[in-house]
Amino acid sequence: MDEAPETPDLELVARTQAGDPEAFDDLIRRYYPRLYGLVYNMTSNHEDTNDLLQEVFSKAYRSIKGFQGKSSFYTWMHSIAVNMSINFLKKRNRRQAMSLDDEDAGIQNDRDFLEATTGSDPSKEANLSELQQRLNAALQKLSHEHRAVVTMFDIQGMPHAEIAKILGISEGTVRSRLFYAHRQLQNYLEEFIKR
Amino acid sequence: MAEDMDISKLLKMRRYEQPPAGHVDDFLREFHRRQRAELLRPSVREILWERLMAIAPSFRVPQLAYAAIVALAVSVSALILTQQPQQSPAVAQSAVEPAQPALSLASSKPVTIGGAVPVSTRTSGSMPSHYVLQSRPVSNEQPLSF
Repeated sequence: MDEAPETPDLELVARTQAGDPEAFDDLIRRYYPRLYGLVYNMTSNHEDTNDLLQEVFSKAYRSIKGFQGKSSFYTWMHSIAVNMSINFLKKRNRRQAMSLDDEDAGIQNDRDFLEATTGSDPSKEANLSELQQRLNAALQKLSHEHRAVVTMFDIQGMPHAEIAKILGISEGTVRSRLFYAHRQLQNYLEEFIKR
Repeated sequence: MAEDMDISKLLKMRRYEQPPAGHVDDFLREFHRRQRAELLRPSVREILWERLMAIAPSFRVPQLAYAAIVALAVSVSALILTQQPQQSPAVAQSAVEPAQPALSLASSKPVTIGGAVPVSTRTSGSMPSHYVLQSRPVSNEQPLSF
């Protein structure tokens, strides 16, 4: 049996604007997993991610009447999430209460991970786990703006043009931030990778 | 192990960061709870009014009354002082004008006694007034005699 076609975002938005809260629930169901990945990779903390996403959707719900469809709902939601994440990180930097011990839950499904760990060599597993921790730490050393670009491009696979729209910057700036961020990450991880 | 892994590959490993299955329902429940709580939350104006009413009884009324009276007196004084220099020259002129006819009446119609020389002419000059009797000037003042 064929699945029913997905209701377009704009239709759900229009229904929400007309006062149908269940339409917004559908939007939450649709965007929650995508935004979870984005916010988690920005914050590196599951609790913070949940709290922040509550605020993100709450803000979107309050502001949805002002959404005029000039950009896609996808871009609009991601803009809210990225901007709120950056503001949150600035505040959190002051208190430095950050946990880098969260294990990456789905990494075991990754092909690269499987290739790297086949043969169940304990030293390889230990290395990869350590590498992930180092990567977490390296990501945290990037500026919030650079981390946002890396998260959207390298982790979420968004195109440059979409990232530029979300952040309100030019594509050239996106590319230069990516270049700089990759170089920084290489430097942070150089010692580990060479060994 | 990791020599051939460039940064992009390492970062891609993180794309599996997803919430646990079924977590979205818990998230929605929490979202609805927060929305309801937000509806019940009083506005900033209500909170300010409530706080003002809470601290109002602690104000000392007599002191406030004195302060209000002093403030009123100062403001009235300031108002009066600022009003005076602002009076226009025309108004000042009109306030002086009614005095002129009275003065001119006195000068234009000199008082005469028995058709003699007008009184006003007798007092002109710098000499003190005196009467002449039998070709000798006589003062109307009593001579000092001891």
